[in-house]
Amino acid sequence: MTTAGPALDRQPADEGIGTSSEPRAPGGPPSVRAAGLGWTYSGRTRPAFQGLTFELEPGRVLLVLGPSGSGKSTLARALAGLVPHVLPGSWRGHLRIGEMDVAATPARVLGERVGLVFQDPDCQLVMARVDDEVAFGLENRGWPRERMQARVPESLRQVGLAGFGRRGTATLSGGEKQRLAIADILAAQPSLLVFDEPTANLDPPGMYATVEQLAALARRREHTIVLVEHRLEAALPLADDVLLLDDEGRQLAFGPAGSVGRGAVALLERSGAWVPQAWRGAEPRLDAAPQPGTAGAGSSMGRVLLDATDLQVDYPADEEGSHRALDGVSFRALAGERTAIVGPNGSGKSTLLFALAGLRRPDRGSVRVRALAAGGEPVEEMRDPSRLRAEEIARRIGMVFQDPELGFVARTARDEVLATDGATRARGRRGGADTPPPDSDGVLARFGLGHLAGESPFQLSQGEQRRLSLAGLVLRPPAVLLLDEPTFGLDRRGTEAVIRLLDELRETGQAQLLATHDPRLLPACDRVVALDRGRIVFDGEPARFLAEPPYSPPGPWRGGVVPTEAAR
Amino acid sequence: MSLLPAPLAPIRPAFLTRVTPVARLTAGMIWLVAAILTLDPAVPARLVVAACVALVLCSGLPLRRIPGRLAPLGLAILSLTVFSILLSGSNADRSIAAIVELGPMRITGPAVSAGLAVGLRVVVIGLTTLLVFGPSDPTRLADSLVQQWHAPDRFAYGTLAALRVAPFMAGDWATIAAARRLRGISPGGVTGRAREFGDRLMVMLVSSIRRAERLALAMDARGFDSGIRRTHFRELRVGWRDLLTVAVALAVAAAALALPR
Repeated sequence: MTTAGPALDRQPADEGIGTSSEPRAPGGPPSVRAAGLGWTYSGRTRPAFQGLTFELEPGRVLLVLGPSGSGKSTLARALAGLVPHVLPGSWRGHLRIGEMDVAATPARVLGERVGLVFQDPDCQLVMARVDDEVAFGLENRGWPRERMQARVPESLRQVGLAGFGRRGTATLSGGEKQRLAIADILAAQPSLLVFDEPTANLDPPGMYATVEQLAALARRREHTIVLVEHRLEAALPLADDVLLLDDEGRQLAFGPAGSVGRGAVALLERSGAWVPQAWRGAEPRLDAAPQPGTAGAGSSMGRVLLDATDLQVDYPADEEGSHRALDGVSFRALAGERTAIVGPNGSGKSTLLFALAGLRRPDRGSVRVRALAAGGEPVEEMRDPSRLRAEEIARRIGMVFQDPELGFVARTARDEVLATDGATRARGRRGGADTPPPDSDGVLARFGLGHLAGESPFQLSQGEQRRLSLAGLVLRPPAVLLLDEPTFGLDRRGTEAVIRLLDELRETGQAQLLATHDPRLLPACDRVVALDRGRIVFDGEPARFLAEPPYSPPGPWRGGVVPTEAAR
Repeated sequence: MSLLPAPLAPIRPAFLTRVTPVARLTAGMIWLVAAILTLDPAVPARLVVAACVALVLCSGLPLRRIPGRLAPLGLAILSLTVFSILLSGSNADRSIAAIVELGPMRITGPAVSAGLAVGLRVVVIGLTTLLVFGPSDPTRLADSLVQQWHAPDRFAYGTLAALRVAPFMAGDWATIAAARRLRGISPGGVTGRAREFGDRLMVMLVSSIRRAERLALAMDARGFDSGIRRTHFRELRVGWRDLLTVAVALAVAAAALALPR
């Protein structure tokens, strides 16, 4: 506590970005030193990470790169003392922050010097009002009221949220929430800042604003910063040092960011990072998807499977009167066509998916959808999905939700693959039909889940869950597949796996609609439909969208996520 | 895609928005006790009038939206009142004159009075709840409970965090139902539906626990309940408004009980 004491007595000065008059934390930013560091969560046999040995000088920015499951988030938790002080498990080696040995220092003392921002803004905001939210951490640390009243608006100003104090936290956009989370930790004046994939759950404008915020913090050199991120083009320009982890949580490399780059593409790819296209030369990747019409289902390609006309959806009145989520949207999905639906948060993407699936009956307009017969031939009859019985709808429409966990219907991965099929087979048996049992383990193996057939779907990792939710649609693929943010939170390999599986499903003549924030997915699509405030503002080829996004500013939508002035 | 309506919030500052939540809670409890003390429908009726006056004059709540918000309660009130009247024991008492007589069914004056008393009590509960919880957000109530009634931090702010997660749970429930419909799952029969309900609940439980764990971790990372004595950003001081509120609530309750019919 002796190191943290003086900071509490100091009067904080004005700290708008660019003015760097913040009183230095005691001793300034700390160094971070790890030696043979390892951690295994209790109940697991495999370590989350192991054998980490690196030394980060005070005031530098460390970028941690690694594939999903490489222990990056756990390392972030260790730096904040949550591991080993809050979460159970076994610790090896040493981790020192400045003079403090993390394993031997109480979480309370670590908490004075370390601030941690998590990936999902919705799971870290505690309070209903913005100013209460910033004050929460200060209250916990026993700050006197007068100092909090001075510090809260300062912290909000620092992240560009001046004047937001009285707003409800629920009314903020994703980017605003994440900047609020940054204000939360800055308020307590920590000297080590840890960010755990802070942009992974944001739309392009929110990501842009958050990266800008990180860049401003990095420029000020007043904190030591550890940034876990797999958007390399956004994060690498901010980094002084880079730590690369492999699948098993072992250290692949540690060194100055300047030494990592075009020369280290293979190493970076092994770490699951998104390597900028320009570095890879001509080697194509996501856009190598087969073109529609070349696939097996032949004659059905290009036929209309879903027809939505003049959709209007209103949400019931709140304080500002009713809210029109969709306004005159007309849309046709063709067999074998993959369409990306893009737009800022609140532009109506999710509402459109729900309306197309017949889960939200539109206030005006209609949706009609048809099924595909066994040979990929469309069934003639177009039906309103909201009026279909459950067993009829499953052949026409499938949906993968942002959180695949909510869609699981079985106790094991194997049963999950059989579930949709099983429902129909049960009915088929009543009619006397008896077909051989389908090869569910074969499907799982194709989806890279063969070893998990007997596991509970809830035990799988995020990427595995997403693949399993697609595997569940294979035995009886729906004519139209709707996906809500299918690559949310996935690293490059996870994303590529999802695209490969979508390619396989498309072979059946399926029409696919992806609501997405990720510009990197667009080249793998045939068509982009862009929404803004409930209306279609663009409908055309991905290349044309990326060249001229119908939003202002267009920068974030092109995937060039670094504000140019942010790169040092 | 939240299913829960946003809580009613004051649209303008008013007397009750400046009263500390604990004082409003005390005043509300006084009325609730008064409403259940007698079987005389006049007492809750007077309290309903007083509550309406308070809502209009000093709650700052959007009045036009109150009837809509109380509508679900209205159904409960109506059925409670009707059944209390129909099932009252005094209907069977032949010495009391019936107001209505239809074949074997008789309704007597005391039955109507008892039924009205039951229904009006529920109206008092509904309106008082609005007056207690409407004029400030739940954070103020948690602050007030901790600062004035010395409730434990973990209880008060933990509940608050749970309240923040509740709308997500409503959204999750809708998503779970949607996902299962699209997977072709629609069991028939009572047992099938009961099992289906259990399965959905199970999925929601898993996802809620995950969410709660993440939120708890974020709270821990920000030093919650780490042994340091917590301070308070927003000061809640007992003022003349609090005393006045409780005094007026007492006076109104006493008058409602004591006034002759």
